[in-house]
Amino acid sequence: MKSTGKPEPTVTIDTSGYAVATEEIRSEAKRLLLEKIVDAVVGYQSGRRKGSAVPVIITDPAQAEQLVFSPACVNNLSIYLTKAKKEIRAKGKLAVVAKGCDLRALAGLMGESQFKREEVVIIGVTCAGVHSAGVQPNEPLTSATIAKKCRECSVHIPEGADLIVGKLPLLPDLTPTEKELLEKLDAMTPGERWEYWKEQFTRCIRCLACRQVCPFCYCEQCLCDRGRPQAVDTSPRPSGNMGWHIVRAMHLAGRCSGCAECERVCPMDIPLNLLNRKMAQELKELYQYEAGLTPQEKGPLTSYDEKDDQSFIK
Amino acid sequence: MSRIGVFICHCGENISRTVDVEQVAQAARQMVGVTYACDYKYMCSDPGQTLLKKAVAEHRLEGIVVAACSPRMHEKTFRNAAQAAGLNPFLCEMANIREHCSWVHDDRVEATAKATDIVHMLVERVRKNKKLIPITVPVTKRALIIGGGIAGIQAALDIADCGHQVVLVEREPSIGGHMAMLSETFPTLDCSQCIMTPRMVDVVNHPKITLHTYSEIESVDGYIGNFSITIKKKARSVDMAKCTGCGVCMEKCPQKKIPNEFDKNLGFRPAIYVPFPQAVPNTPVIDREHCTKFINGKCGVCQKVCGPGAVDYEQQDELIVEQVGAIVVATGFKLYDITEKPKGSAIKGYGEFGHGKIPDVIDGLTFERLASASGPTGGKIIRPSDGKEPKQVVFVQCVGSRAREKGISYCSKVCCMYTAKHTMLYKHKVHDGQAYVFFMDARTPGKSYDEFWRRAIEEEEAVYIRGMVSRVYQKGDKVVVMGSDIAVGVQVEIEADLVVLATAIQPRDGADTLAQKLGISYDKYNFYSEAHAKLRPVECATAGIYLAGACQGPKDIPDTVSQASAAAAKVMTLFSKDQLEREPIVARVNEKFCVGCLACKKVCAYGAVEEKEIRDRQGNLIRVVAYVNPGVCSGCGTCQATCPSKSVELDGYTDEQVMAMLETL
Repeated sequence: MKSTGKPEPTVTIDTSGYAVATEEIRSEAKRLLLEKIVDAVVGYQSGRRKGSAVPVIITDPAQAEQLVFSPACVNNLSIYLTKAKKEIRAKGKLAVVAKGCDLRALAGLMGESQFKREEVVIIGVTCAGVHSAGVQPNEPLTSATIAKKCRECSVHIPEGADLIVGKLPLLPDLTPTEKELLEKLDAMTPGERWEYWKEQFTRCIRCLACRQVCPFCYCEQCLCDRGRPQAVDTSPRPSGNMGWHIVRAMHLAGRCSGCAECERVCPMDIPLNLLNRKMAQELKELYQYEAGLTPQEKGPLTSYDEKDDQSFIK
Repeated sequence: MSRIGVFICHCGENISRTVDVEQVAQAARQMVGVTYACDYKYMCSDPGQTLLKKAVAEHRLEGIVVAACSPRMHEKTFRNAAQAAGLNPFLCEMANIREHCSWVHDDRVEATAKATDIVHMLVERVRKNKKLIPITVPVTKRALIIGGGIAGIQAALDIADCGHQVVLVEREPSIGGHMAMLSETFPTLDCSQCIMTPRMVDVVNHPKITLHTYSEIESVDGYIGNFSITIKKKARSVDMAKCTGCGVCMEKCPQKKIPNEFDKNLGFRPAIYVPFPQAVPNTPVIDREHCTKFINGKCGVCQKVCGPGAVDYEQQDELIVEQVGAIVVATGFKLYDITEKPKGSAIKGYGEFGHGKIPDVIDGLTFERLASASGPTGGKIIRPSDGKEPKQVVFVQCVGSRAREKGISYCSKVCCMYTAKHTMLYKHKVHDGQAYVFFMDARTPGKSYDEFWRRAIEEEEAVYIRGMVSRVYQKGDKVVVMGSDIAVGVQVEIEADLVVLATAIQPRDGADTLAQKLGISYDKYNFYSEAHAKLRPVECATAGIYLAGACQGPKDIPDTVSQASAAAAKVMTLFSKDQLEREPIVARVNEKFCVGCLACKKVCAYGAVEEKEIRDRQGNLIRVVAYVNPGVCSGCGTCQATCPSKSVELDGYTDEQVMAMLETL
């Protein structure tokens, strides 16, 4: 399903702030390590291909010069802070480079007892947007190459970080493609919607990249890998695929912070973030709740309030 | 497990009327793992249970499915039978083919098919059942009583006399409750103070009772046998250890015009006061809201005149923690204040009765204070407005009670009797006075109650008018009561000197908040709910918490005292053992797979989930996982449903069992 809006003229986005961010990340990382405020910094470094970026964990102040920030810094680094990443957590106190969207995941993880606020230094980075999946890393950031989630980003400047680096340029108005898609889905009949998702999920090859990249899929033993009893058929067949994606959507409801990493890594281009956003929308309508705004002890799905919607009880 | 016996009950005709039980038995014999199946008219009867025990021995059964009624009804019966037959009781399960099948269906063929399915599911569950051993938890043999009225006092004395420690917590500065306010009590007309105050003294002198007055329950943690109670002792401003109760401070307090709550605002009290002369403990308390010292700092007389130096303006509220094993809730009642409509409540007021506006329209408790020898008038019945002796008094029953359209549909139970008592007390003090009573009907089911009521009419000449009152208004110095006499079918108007309203009994303010702290249930009026209306009338559904007195529903003194003693007996039953047995249907965490997100801890309604640190041999923290305290867990299974990695499982309801059950369908 493609957006049916008129093709918009390509707009180039000012990325001068990224160089500023890079410089500031390097100096802050160096300072944090030198002053022994943290033991390791989770950030991005340049990849082998020109213009690309990959996650890196540095422990030596001298390594701080490797750190970069660019539109190719697509990864959500909060995943490295979950309890499952024992070897990283074992390094001691961590600092992490976080875009606005990543910070929402960090807030969610704190609410789920994955780490405490005082255990992590968050280097918030102002971000004009990152590349969409499949874009060559050295391509300039334009309205054509920017990720869908960034088109309607509301957290260009992260909130709640320990320090903020970078400079936000003047941003062009971009059409919210994903929101339009969601509206189109909402307009369908339940039958049509079911067909749409069935069609999407038949493509799934169960590589489980969506699970591996998700900061909230931190279980060391996924229930979908269990054999006895088997909750979800593990082979890539329609019934098991549907089962897996429903389990995934349900487990993320009220938790997903919308980083869209699942959709980025999906080799079969299944619009997974669309499903996440649909769940988020339901949560907002039912409980006026948005995940990841602040670290919360209890989300709406783990608490009971007499004012909760009871209409489902007939 | 492969040697399962299936026992299908006809339940007289309750099941066999709609379900072909023989066919179900036949189908059961074909199920994998079933060795033996039979049906019988009354499986729960002695011959039925014998049949089960015999079959276990004859067919060497290793598991049992009894297809009958709800497990709430007879699970214990059959598990005991299984145990008697030498099986672990938790290898016996019930398939509910009565409430879930025969009672709700008409079609015999379909109902039989459904009953077969239900049996099949339970067979699958039993195949994967494991032997479970009951959990034992130690019992702290110390009881908490909340409320120091006659209910709390009776329960406290009974438990303490049995040799157990008791902690009695009372919100007011003195124990005694409403009974201490009454003049004389029905049906014998003995003086309330005379029978009440010795009990109060017994409490304070009892070596096993710790009394906390002017205190409230702050929070409740723990579970049956092991509660931890935080009590807030409000600042009394008087050191209880030093005070001798001489009363000089009260005499000298310059602030003397504070309406006396104990006398229903008919008299006055100083800012440092005891609620009534016979108060227990006899230690005054400073009402900081009205004390000049606390308002502007310009007094301090009481401190100066206090010989032992007991007055302490600096005293602070204090939190103390008490460990107890059982709780008796005896928080009592209040009278429905009809002057205005309570905010946000379905209950409507009675503006038309002028209560609160006309001074000579009073409620029953106010009349008690007027008639009481220790009351503000020394027992002389006079009108609050001008102090004259009323010659015509109108009593109105059922004000608020039994008035569905006004929001309260229950009967307050005591008003018929106390109104009859009021007419007598009045007649005894004002010989030429006339009492009129408007009533719907007289409810006098108690020992010597009806005789008492007849006496009010026949000997004490009270005029009973069957009918309702529509309006009460002031006319000169008279109060006119407009009502109907349905026996004659006429409207009546009585020009009275005093009107006494028997207003409804309601639970105390804050009853709901306390219930939430305790985790007990309450009805729409905030009366606490018993576990079973007939068979468990003094127990709460929450284990280890018991009810006494009017907090559970309107009650008179004899009923309250009986219930308090019953609650005490329940507490003593609990304390008769050192260890408490609990059902082993509890959740367990698979620590290997738990990721410590602690979602289970957030959803647990019983506070059973704790954090557990896993350390290596050197003592280094490896990770934090969830731990379910089996002593607290109630086996509701919410954690199991919540756990994202399915690392929590409920014994007897494991995922494997539930999936196997579903797969039979």
